Amino acid sequence: MLGNVFLKSLRDQRRPFTWWAIGLIAVTLLTVLFYPSFQDSTDLNEVLGDDNSIMRAFVGDVEDLTSPEGFLNSQLYFLLVPVLLIVFAVSAGSGAIAGEEEKGTLDLLFSHPVRRSVVVLHKLAAVVVSILGLAFLIWAAVAVGALMVGMDVSLVRAGEATLSGALLGALFGAFGLAVGCATGRRGTTIGVSGAAAVLGYLVNALRPVADALEPARFLSPFYYYIGADPLVNGLDPVHAAVMVAGIAVLSLAAVAAFERRDVAV
Amino acid sequence: MSLVIQTRGLTKDYGAHRAVSGVELEIREGEVFGYLGPNGAGKTTTIRILMDFIRATSGSAEVFGLDSRARSQDIRRRTAYLPGDVALYDRMTGRDLLTYFANLSGGVDPRHVDRLSERLRCDLDQPIRSLSRGNRQKIGLVQAFMHRSELIIMDEPSSGLDPLMQQEFYALVEEVKADGRTVFISSHIMPEVERVCDRVGIIRKGELVAVEDVDSLKRRAFHRLEVHFSAPVPPEAFANLPNVRDVTVQDSQVTCTAVGKPDALIKAAARFEVVRLVSHEPNLEDVFLSYYGDGEPDAR
Repeated sequence: MLGNVFLKSLRDQRRPFTWWAIGLIAVTLLTVLFYPSFQDSTDLNEVLGDDNSIMRAFVGDVEDLTSPEGFLNSQLYFLLVPVLLIVFAVSAGSGAIAGEEEKGTLDLLFSHPVRRSVVVLHKLAAVVVSILGLAFLIWAAVAVGALMVGMDVSLVRAGEATLSGALLGALFGAFGLAVGCATGRRGTTIGVSGAAAVLGYLVNALRPVADALEPARFLSPFYYYIGADPLVNGLDPVHAAVMVAGIAVLSLAAVAAFERRDVAV
Repeated sequence: MSLVIQTRGLTKDYGAHRAVSGVELEIREGEVFGYLGPNGAGKTTTIRILMDFIRATSGSAEVFGLDSRARSQDIRRRTAYLPGDVALYDRMTGRDLLTYFANLSGGVDPRHVDRLSERLRCDLDQPIRSLSRGNRQKIGLVQAFMHRSELIIMDEPSSGLDPLMQQEFYALVEEVKADGRTVFISSHIMPEVERVCDRVGIIRKGELVAVEDVDSLKRRAFHRLEVHFSAPVPPEAFANLPNVRDVTVQDSQVTCTAVGKPDALIKAAARFEVVRLVSHEPNLEDVFLSYYGDGEPDAR
């Protein structure tokens, strides 16, 4: 695990990854296990109100909260899964360069014959692999929970929705990495990335309430994550491609910003 | 003899503050070069430009004849480095850290790492965060020496080391020199530079004010001498001697400063019965204070 920057970065994530894995599995499993008590309470749908209700900003644009897809979307995929994956991703992405720079270990690392670009990309790859690992565990928890309570949901579709969440997480991880590469400050990076995530969420989620946001929706990463409802319709290839392209652009920006500047002591 | 490091007009500004100003260094293959100056003089800044961690505002640097920016990767393949105030990965053990850096540079001989660790008495199995400053420094030193690089650049390498380990460190530097490899050491400790270096560059407020052979510095240096006689001596016997200054005669004891050859003093003293002769070796600190201590520094 010490062969290169990628493997060493993965190794560094062991501890946080383990705790995140335990937490995410617990939250996901508990949520799914609550499904039987939701299943028959169709009057719950009344809280949704009409199409423009503010409630839709928190549970998504669902028709039926008590269907398996409506339940999973509103309880897990609309808010909880993306937010948790983004928090992990931003923390890992901003720590990758800016965190190490603040600890002062970059000098020793870069005294060895490694290119800055290679270090940035290896570290991003480690973040992405960790997110994919967490997403897999979320999917596994959904699958186990669904089997336990006999929820009739497509595990393939659940996998596609979770993968879409992983792409969203990776996108914000790359964003944190790029901001960290440009500023070298971890605190600033987490703040900027968090603000961007909240803004992205609101622009997408408030659309049912505020028509004026409709055009801006296409700027929100959350739209590409869940706008096409991957749990019902499967992963939209175009939307997935937009997120992957975003990751690629941000990683190039990260490299360009980092190559250009002085490394802080 | 070819140059391993050459800088031309190297300058680095941080806002309005000029950290390094027009530094022209030439470091020859196979020498141990001391880069001497007080804290904040620009030593670390110069080194970090050579390593391409930071970029010069103007001027250029070549290492092995390669441009420090364009060919940094190739330079770093042949150069080992020890940062000042070395920060290591706290959660790793020393052994894991050394393994990681060995892998990044394409592998080193594990027996060599073991030998170095034994000589410096490193504890490689504890997480680095539990080690004292001196013990971290030793792991940093093993890292710097284990690659057997053609050039080793070390920023304040002996800081935090106890005297015994300092001796071991000097021995390591001498072995590298015996191999014909080059060492560049920054330091603010004069005796250290005097002990291991062939030549010294003195940097002050970002400017390289002098480059000297350590030997010639010592030759030009002055000795504080004390001569004790068996009986009181007449003061006029020691007045106006060439190469002798600051003479005080007190009963049977003469103290003075001999600059360069102390021959006249010895001959004057020989007319009386000498019971004790004490010579205080000058350290570079006194030397530099004497030559560059006040006013504007001399040109090279």
